[in-house]
Amino acid sequence: MEKAPPNYPSAVNLISISDLCLSHSLCVSGLAAAFWAARSIYYIDLISDPFRTLRHFFVIQAPIVILVFSRFRRDPEQCSYLKAMIRGVLGTFAGALVNALVAIALGAPVGLNYLPKTVYWSLLISSLTFVPAACVFGASWKDWRRLFAHTKPVDLVDYMICVPAHGAIVGSWFGAWPMPLDWERPWQEWPICVSYGTMVGYVAGMLLSFGLTVVKSEKQHLKKD
Amino acid sequence: MSSSLSCARLTAVTVAAVVIQITGLALFVFGFFPVKPTLSGVSGVESFHPPWDAADDGFISPSFSADELKSLYQDLSDVPAQFDRLILMVIDGLPAEFVLGKNGQPPPQEFVEAMPYTQSLMWTGEAIGYHAVASPPTVTMPRLKALVSGAIGGFLDVAFNFNTQAFLDDNILGQLLRVGFKMLMFGDETWLKLFPESFARCDGVSSFYVKDTVQVDLNVSRHLDEELYKEDWDAMILHYLGLDHIGHIGGRNSDLMIPKLREMDQIIKTIHLSTQEFEVNDHKRTLMLVVSDHGMTYSGNHGGSSFEETDTLALFVGPKSSGTRYGSATSSINQVDIPPTLALLFGVPIPKNNVGIVIADVLKSLSGGQQLRALELNSWQLLRLLQAQLPGLSCGNSLCVEYSDYQATQTGKSSVDADAVFCSSYCKAHLLHRSWKSKKVTWSATSEDFTVTQLAYYEFIRTASDWLSHKASDKCAVCLTFGVAAMLVSCLIVFHLLFKLCRHITFGATRCQGEKIHWHLDDYFSLAVILALVASMGSSSMVEEEQYIWHFFTSSMSLVLLRSAAQQLPANTFTEHSSIIFRQFSSIILLLVFGRILRGWHQGGVNWTYLPDISKWLEQAGDSYIHNIQLASGFLAISLSISALFLLRKRRKFVLLIGLIYIASALLVMSHLIEHTANKLAATGYGATLMAQIIYTIISISTAGIVLLVPWLMPIQISGSYSTASNSKLHEKPPKCSLLGLRDSIYITGWAYISFWCLLQLVLQQAINSFPMLLVFMQILASLLYYSTSKSRHKPWVEIATLYYLGMTGHFSLGNSNTLATIDVAGAFIGISEHSTLLSGTLMFMITYASPFTVLFSLVMYISVKNGSLDLDGAQSASNENVLMEMLCFPCLVPLGLNSVVLTAYTIVLLAMRNHLFIWSVFSPKYLYVCATTICIYLGIFIVAATTVYIYSVINFRTKKLSRSQ
Repeated sequence: MEKAPPNYPSAVNLISISDLCLSHSLCVSGLAAAFWAARSIYYIDLISDPFRTLRHFFVIQAPIVILVFSRFRRDPEQCSYLKAMIRGVLGTFAGALVNALVAIALGAPVGLNYLPKTVYWSLLISSLTFVPAACVFGASWKDWRRLFAHTKPVDLVDYMICVPAHGAIVGSWFGAWPMPLDWERPWQEWPICVSYGTMVGYVAGMLLSFGLTVVKSEKQHLKKD
Repeated sequence: MSSSLSCARLTAVTVAAVVIQITGLALFVFGFFPVKPTLSGVSGVESFHPPWDAADDGFISPSFSADELKSLYQDLSDVPAQFDRLILMVIDGLPAEFVLGKNGQPPPQEFVEAMPYTQSLMWTGEAIGYHAVASPPTVTMPRLKALVSGAIGGFLDVAFNFNTQAFLDDNILGQLLRVGFKMLMFGDETWLKLFPESFARCDGVSSFYVKDTVQVDLNVSRHLDEELYKEDWDAMILHYLGLDHIGHIGGRNSDLMIPKLREMDQIIKTIHLSTQEFEVNDHKRTLMLVVSDHGMTYSGNHGGSSFEETDTLALFVGPKSSGTRYGSATSSINQVDIPPTLALLFGVPIPKNNVGIVIADVLKSLSGGQQLRALELNSWQLLRLLQAQLPGLSCGNSLCVEYSDYQATQTGKSSVDADAVFCSSYCKAHLLHRSWKSKKVTWSATSEDFTVTQLAYYEFIRTASDWLSHKASDKCAVCLTFGVAAMLVSCLIVFHLLFKLCRHITFGATRCQGEKIHWHLDDYFSLAVILALVASMGSSSMVEEEQYIWHFFTSSMSLVLLRSAAQQLPANTFTEHSSIIFRQFSSIILLLVFGRILRGWHQGGVNWTYLPDISKWLEQAGDSYIHNIQLASGFLAISLSISALFLLRKRRKFVLLIGLIYIASALLVMSHLIEHTANKLAATGYGATLMAQIIYTIISISTAGIVLLVPWLMPIQISGSYSTASNSKLHEKPPKCSLLGLRDSIYITGWAYISFWCLLQLVLQQAINSFPMLLVFMQILASLLYYSTSKSRHKPWVEIATLYYLGMTGHFSLGNSNTLATIDVAGAFIGISEHSTLLSGTLMFMITYASPFTVLFSLVMYISVKNGSLDLDGAQSASNENVLMEMLCFPCLVPLGLNSVVLTAYTIVLLAMRNHLFIWSVFSPKYLYVCATTICIYLGIFIVAATTVYIYSVINFRTKKLSRSQ
């Protein structure tokens, strides 16, 4: 880490590799558990009932993300664990609004019958993109800009926030591609294939960030030695 | 580096690239869509005389009654009519394999069992079946045309006749009608479109509901019981669609196929039994012809040129044949051979454009002399057609006499041109025929002489027919290769120039000297847009729904710009800089919002047009709402234009004058809108036409006046704030001031272009489209505002590419699509008092390409807002020529480059898709749009370049004069 900013509290950099490993696997397994529960307990999936399935995913995934990322809050001295969680909850709704607006700008349908699906999709993607950053950074524009406008993650937590979030966004963007094709498949409806894209992108981002984390921390270890 | 890119050289290379591109395009279009010279008019009495016998040409007169004409034909032709009644039964999509088998093998057992009566007809020799080879496109309408006319049409024929569908070429139905046949038609309504008012009784069924496989045929068959026993008709056409629908639903092996074949067999049986009864009672001979228009693939589709699709059935029930079962089935014919055979069987002239060959087996019942006469008539008809394509061809009688000597001296030289080949083979047949006729004693169809003559005729007819049909469907391979190569070359040239310019400009400017060119997300993304677009064009559904791609990528591009604006937003303190950033943010958000409304306005495309959209909603709400919205958008557009003009604060009086001119024409347009579009009746009246003409005149005069006069009148010597504010040296002042004058002149000119263009569009576009037009205008103003404040954050080509994408998105948002059906034909007659194809075409072009033209005109304004500050800073080093080049190179080359990529890629796609099912319905119309866009881009950048060069040279001239006088 040549360019590690000096103003970060040393506590942040001392996160152990096992801690990160656990966080990564918790986030991914949250989604997996949601998938499993939807299928085998409620007998629903995205195609048959996108509204309830998305709500289900959100209800399971959002608390996990908030609980996991509030532990990595950047300013543990001024900000308690509870306060970070409240930040996360607020960030969920603010992020959902932004995501819904972006989705509509990119062409998501605006009819009343689509509204619940759009709301729950945006809540879900908000919990994957906005919430971690909100828990960790709060309203620090400098950090938000660094991660989302410049895409320049610095430390390990940065990677864990930034890479899966970008994965989810890029995944959703690509997920919208098959929608105008005339294949007449049920999953081409909004927001089914976009949600698949979101989750695939998120999981891919998680795996990538885990790989990067391992590589980075090994380098750190080498430096310390 | 700069020496290699002088202004003159750049211009020359660009012009060369454009010329190469136009040449390539012309070559390709010529090669891909060959224009087949067709003979107009219909064959008449003259077809019974040799083509070189010009004496009888004036003989035909329209005054013959049907019966007179019929007996005249009888006397002249020497081939007596074999039948009195025709029953043409078309089974849509039936592959001949189902009835005749393949490769001499009988069809599969289940098919034989499904059609017992038809098979028994062929067993007993009462029917002769053929594999008739259809030529692509294997879709119903062109095939029906071929079935009745014997000609093979080209694409442009299909494309340009999409509205006027009545078939006007010479055809067998017309010939029969002329000799007084009374015709009936039951089945596919395509026949009714092709031959309006030809049928005495008819019942058209629609082929639209493909899911319907039962009712569609019952609607045809229900007429049979009644009509078959009436005596008042002479020809009946039955077109059954059910089998084709079954194919589309379930393919060849659908469960419904066998029952459908059984149903068809039952119908054939009913008809045949009734005709036999009829023959006994009335001694009228009936020919029943069972044909299919095209085949189908194993999955049930058709349109291409595979064997499964082109293998169609032709079953003649009536002519007695001695052939064995399936004996003739191995020797396949062409679909176009049916019309000449029918013509000779019914004693009428062969249709003029026929390229088919008369079928020998069907004419077996004729005497030897009559058979040879039939071949002679067919040869004469083909010779006439050949003469139309090879004007030098003339095998008169005299030539044929010489031919016998000629042949004696020169035996068997193969390398002679087409003329000579046709002539010699025709003359050979002709001489043999004559010598055969002279030996009257052996007039039988079995002698050796007869066979030799017949073979000679067939040799000629076959050569001629092959040559003619290849001429119609063959693509000129050389043209295509050179065309594509030329387009590729010009594309490469443009990109080479752009690449050089990028390096030149980036290194030349002071801002990043010696730094490696850094690529940002926006650079990558704007390239990705064009690549994704090119990739999507290979899929027919993406071509149909292109508007989604454009909207999606343009909005994504705006989001990328938003991200790059967010990068500039400072961390905590709000300074003056942050207010600029705020302005940028809001202009991009406006872009996004307007873009979303534009997308919701028209549910374009093909597959989802039924979904609700704003325009449908407004149309339901009522005309008064639409009218009010039109007026409001007109008002908004005008006030926006004026405020955009007054952004130029320096030159109050000058701006005021131009503003007044604009307001005068704007008031005229508004009064026109209020008066003449409120009620639909007034919109077509004389007053409206006159008003529109006045508006056209005033708008063109004001625009031309402003463009021509502004650089002369613009004050270039500025006293006061500007020259004192800049701490430049005295001798540098004239060029600097002139640059400022140049910039302001360009701004006003560009403003005049887009403002007056918007006014014009308010008049031309449909009322429902005036608000989207306003949105497009506002989008362009918003992006210009963004670019004027973003300084050098983005590379110039990214900015222009984004504008270009906005223009194309707007094109689709105004309700256009890639089908020819969405062209606004009604708008093309606004203000035109008499019919003029050129004027209406121009108006139609202007309406269709309203949005891309707005963008291209806005490039003039872009030049001004973008280069103003840059020139003032870097004026010391820049020589005059470089200023012009720097202003013009990107605005001209980027649209040209993007369009040439699309054009070249789509040309290659079209070539690769030439056998695709949708080549005629989706890909070729899209190609017409691509070509029209290319013309639009050429015109636009020509106007941009010409305007800028004109203003630049005028200002330069005035500056020099000024400095000399000082």
